Amino acid sequence: MHRIAHSVKGWLALSDKWPLRTGQGKSIAQHGELFQGQIEDDNNQRRRCLVSLPCNAMYSHAIFHPDTSGSVRMNPAHKRKAVQVVELTLSHLNASEIGGEVSIDSCVPEAKGCGSSTADCIAAAIAAADAVDRALSEEELAHLVVKAEVASDNFMFRRAVLFAHREGVVLEDYARKFPRLEILGIDTAPNAHVETLKYPPAVYTWKQMQSFCTLTGALRRAVGKGDIHLLGRIATASANINQEFLPKPLFPEIRELSERTGALGVAVAHSGTVLSILLDPNDELLEFKIDQLRAGLNELGISQILRFQT
Amino acid sequence: MIEQTYKSVISMYRPKLVALEHNLTAAVFPFMKIFPAELCLRRAREEGWAQPQTLIVETSSGNMALGLALVCNLSGYKLTIVSDYSCDGFLRRRLEDLGTRVEIVPGPAARGGYQQARLDKLGEICSESPDHFWINQYDNPANPGAYGFFAAQLIENLGQIDCLVASVGSGGSACGTSTYLRELFPEMRTIGVDTFGSVLFGQPDQARKLRGLGNSVLPKNLDHRVFDEVHWVSAAEAYKATRVLHQGTTLFCGGTSGAAWMVARHWVKKNPRAKVVCIFPDDGYRYVDSIYSDEYLWKENLWLPELTEAPVEVSRPLDAGPPWSCMQWGRRAYSEVVSPTLSATA
Repeated sequence: MHRIAHSVKGWLALSDKWPLRTGQGKSIAQHGELFQGQIEDDNNQRRRCLVSLPCNAMYSHAIFHPDTSGSVRMNPAHKRKAVQVVELTLSHLNASEIGGEVSIDSCVPEAKGCGSSTADCIAAAIAAADAVDRALSEEELAHLVVKAEVASDNFMFRRAVLFAHREGVVLEDYARKFPRLEILGIDTAPNAHVETLKYPPAVYTWKQMQSFCTLTGALRRAVGKGDIHLLGRIATASANINQEFLPKPLFPEIRELSERTGALGVAVAHSGTVLSILLDPNDELLEFKIDQLRAGLNELGISQILRFQT
Repeated sequence: MIEQTYKSVISMYRPKLVALEHNLTAAVFPFMKIFPAELCLRRAREEGWAQPQTLIVETSSGNMALGLALVCNLSGYKLTIVSDYSCDGFLRRRLEDLGTRVEIVPGPAARGGYQQARLDKLGEICSESPDHFWINQYDNPANPGAYGFFAAQLIENLGQIDCLVASVGSGGSACGTSTYLRELFPEMRTIGVDTFGSVLFGQPDQARKLRGLGNSVLPKNLDHRVFDEVHWVSAAEAYKATRVLHQGTTLFCGGTSGAAWMVARHWVKKNPRAKVVCIFPDDGYRYVDSIYSDEYLWKENLWLPELTEAPVEVSRPLDAGPPWSCMQWGRRAYSEVVSPTLSATA
């Protein structure tokens, strides 16, 4: 950890204007989507949207050391979107003259549908704002991150929202946190990597649009009432529709295993290979079911299983 | 007509969900068919099958005609409806005031009765106007397809639904709503209500007094594999149920609502812990001089002192009453249930 040399005069000038300090930011990631699809808004415009499944077992941690260099540097260097988002954040806060070094430490696997890029960007944006003693609202974060990313996930919101991920806009605010779920997360294709924007967005039929209308109505009920059984069914129904566009290997087998074991449902990544099996944390057979699922997954050749909660 | 106005007018017709008994909910529509009418037309527009100057045509004596009249009026399409004697004055006046051309066939065809006469007339109109689009509610997938919003409303308000009870005419609302609900609740039971002399569930075609459900043709939109159970009710029973519904709950509905209600009420008694939805497709105004007139019911031999208590359970459609009968259909295809030697008018 080293500070870039700067002139005392330059630093004094900046720190006159800004309360500068080392900024810190952290973000969780996600592990698939409870819902992904498209709805028609009040102006008959089709809006692509999703509800990400937050995963607190994965996170990115960013540290921003501001300096007088006027430019933003990244460590590791390849996280270019995070650089962009820091620049956008500083510009948004009218602090463009501030530069510095961002270092990001992340345990979110990349190109898997866990939102590693979004997690990095959120952490970096928070760190940049923190460096000038400011905090960003969830809406500001969403806006900045999508500007840098083009398509982003919605776990900057601590409450459940229906998020237009290519626009950075909340379409529906369920105004509640996710109900408590126990989750087994797996990677259906550990050797594959998915680049979100390389995939052409799904062209849904009118019938699928009708189904999404049903599912978003169901989402309002499920989140509103904390109905995790319904939430599980929604995730599976959404995964079924999207399987047509971005098939996950072993999805039919895992869905069948989930049903057989009495899990709540299966959520999949909208552009990625990860998949989450949802369970009721209050199920008295929880540990038994998890053992059954582990055994079933092992039989399918999957041994890397991440257990986490919402 | 600007888009916002169009949308807000159509949404006026959304159903109200009314709790009838603690686990029975009625979805009460002012008239339900405006929704399949709306989607059929919107799909035609989206696919380019109908341009602004295209003549929209359909044969219907009831709510589909009214639904189309409303939607065509709102979106500027010319509409011709082919109907017969069963098109009542009330409906005809509304249709014509909305700008619809109503063609009434003078009498039945030599072969195929009024059904054929209407189709013949429709054929004439289509040859006269080469730029036409026939809505074809019995086969058009946008009919059952229109009920996604309804399934959404049901789940949002009620959560998991255990049983859906619906009168069946075109198969649109029953099969459409059930299919969307079953994407989340595949185990949900679906019960169809038909009438004697309707070919929909394997009875031979006969003259029927009950309007709005039952049919002389098998619509493509009727997917028999949707149904767990089928009930047959007579016109007299359906009308009695409609009156009892009105007298007991003040809900003022048409005959298909009474039919659905009597079946749903019975099912709920047998399954007290299940959450049941029954569909009431239209309100009672068109039936003031018929269903709601004791004099009319007496004259037409449709008066019943009391509603039938319970259905007779049969194992084959041909064994179904009158009176009220039911059968476990078991989500089977038509051909699995109905003997191939039975000739149903196609």
